[in-house]
Amino acid sequence: MPTQGERYPAGGSGGQLGALTRQQLQDLEKKEKTGAQKLLDVVIVLLPLFCGGIALLEYLLVPDNSMNPQPNTYVGFLLVLAAAYLCYCVFAAGKLPRGERAVYEKVRYKAPLYAALFLLLAFYDYLTLKTGVLTQPFVPCMNSILNIAWSDRAYLIECTLHTLRLLFLGYFIGVAVGLVTGITCGYWERAHYWIDPIIKFLGPIPTATWIPIIMVVVSSLFAGAVFVIALGSWFAVTVASMTGISNVDKDYFEAARTLGASERQLIFQVAIPHAMPSILQGCTQAMSSACVAIMVAEMMGVKAGLGWYMTWAKSWASYDKMFAALFVICFIFTAVTRGVELLKRRLLRWQIGRTA
Amino acid sequence: MGEQKHVTLRMDGVSKVFAKVESDEVTHALNTVDLTMASGEFISLVGPSGCGKSTILRLIAGLILPTTGTVTVDGKPVTAPSPQRGMVFQKPTLFPWLTVEKNISFSLRMQHKLKGNEEKVERMLQVIGLEAFRKDYPGQLSGGMAQRVALARSIIDEPDILLPDEPLGALDAFTRMNMQDEILKIWRERWQLAIMVTHDVDEAIYMGTRVIVMEANPGRVIADVPIHIDYPRDRSSAAFLAYRVDILNQLHYAGHKS
Repeated sequence: MPTQGERYPAGGSGGQLGALTRQQLQDLEKKEKTGAQKLLDVVIVLLPLFCGGIALLEYLLVPDNSMNPQPNTYVGFLLVLAAAYLCYCVFAAGKLPRGERAVYEKVRYKAPLYAALFLLLAFYDYLTLKTGVLTQPFVPCMNSILNIAWSDRAYLIECTLHTLRLLFLGYFIGVAVGLVTGITCGYWERAHYWIDPIIKFLGPIPTATWIPIIMVVVSSLFAGAVFVIALGSWFAVTVASMTGISNVDKDYFEAARTLGASERQLIFQVAIPHAMPSILQGCTQAMSSACVAIMVAEMMGVKAGLGWYMTWAKSWASYDKMFAALFVICFIFTAVTRGVELLKRRLLRWQIGRTA
Repeated sequence: MGEQKHVTLRMDGVSKVFAKVESDEVTHALNTVDLTMASGEFISLVGPSGCGKSTILRLIAGLILPTTGTVTVDGKPVTAPSPQRGMVFQKPTLFPWLTVEKNISFSLRMQHKLKGNEEKVERMLQVIGLEAFRKDYPGQLSGGMAQRVALARSIIDEPDILLPDEPLGALDAFTRMNMQDEILKIWRERWQLAIMVTHDVDEAIYMGTRVIVMEANPGRVIADVPIHIDYPRDRSSAAFLAYRVDILNQLHYAGHKS
């Protein structure tokens, strides 16, 4: 029963603009770039390579201020980074003749950041190796960090795996239990009555506080660390999902009930999907709290993992190892957080482009 | 389409009292209402706000229970919501995390009846003219489209009783008139019992076979006016205007002319 009153002009089925894709629409609506602007874009895209060159020349031409054994690792590192970026550019440029601008636009968008990264590397090298403003070996130069990371790779990998195992075990236990308690408390007033005081009482205690107690009470430090990490994640997820569920608009429940939904379906088909943004926000928070907790646990008690590696390196005054571990920690935490973020975006597709 | 079952809905001495939240007093939303309605009728409930017209709909839907009196369908008391009494709310209340298609099939999926009934979803999409939007999420729809999806969602399981609660209240005048015709067309396909709440007297007369006029404090029925005009109705005909004056009179809004 189509009505004349209100139809989208591009309503899929017909009309002059009917067969438009999103890419074409963007091209249509965007202002045509002038020749100078296009040239500027190309310059910006090539900027990271130029800055990479600066970093390389700075490293090779400026005389060293201190000893620097095996100097070529850093050169290789810079070249690999630059080559990776070049491949990315070529890939993006290769798509251009077919009219796919998206990748190129992305490269163009990120290029200034990559350029800044190379400049930052050059600046850091200047401050450490070249002038000693940051004293060697306390703040080691990139080259020695890379060297030590490579020579000690077996142990670093072992520690990384240990950290990841601990992190995910604790995180998933915490999230799973948190979901159950949060959803139960959000939906049933009776459960809320009993569990809420526990959350209020245990929740604000910083995770680190538990560690000395755990070390006394628990027989296995690994289990203790899992418990501490799980506790932090549990708290974040419980609070977030409880709020999410109790904020579900009553109208949705009424609509679902008149459509024949059972109590069970109200929870799983209405309450949980509706609370999903809040729940996933809790999961993201839980991940950052888990990352903090695991480092504290490994530095204070657990005799393995990257946190342990750092304290151990410090006690041997191997500052380069400390920095190497720090970088690895940065990488895995960024990757893990990004993973949770991607999952979130996938599950919340329906929120994209919402107008209401 | 299945054969329409004939049902009779009775409200006997129904009162509904709500406790106020902030004080110890109570609100008499509905005071001893007696009504009998049957399949084939399109009832318009019209009246000022607070007259209990939405309360009647919610009682019939089974979302709330009467304080005294009984609501029965074919002699069986209404105790809980059922997909056999399809309600359409003023806000579309579409589930924002489901596509148009999934929203429409919600009722069938909840009752595990979707298998073998996929063509019903197709038909509904056709009826509301939104086949091209089946994979869209409700956040991307206009108000009129969203309300049409809500309508399709509540009638897909062929309810015996249709309960639109000011379904067109939030729409602009043109969309509203189009939607009035769409709802009538859907109703005339199966002649089920439809009971619609509205605050618009013209809409009540244009659509209803019977207009029930209500008043507030306490909420009660003050007139029950059968409308004897053939469909499709002409909003400017003399008969239409006569009903209009009559009903506005009952509501004391007719002005000096009468």
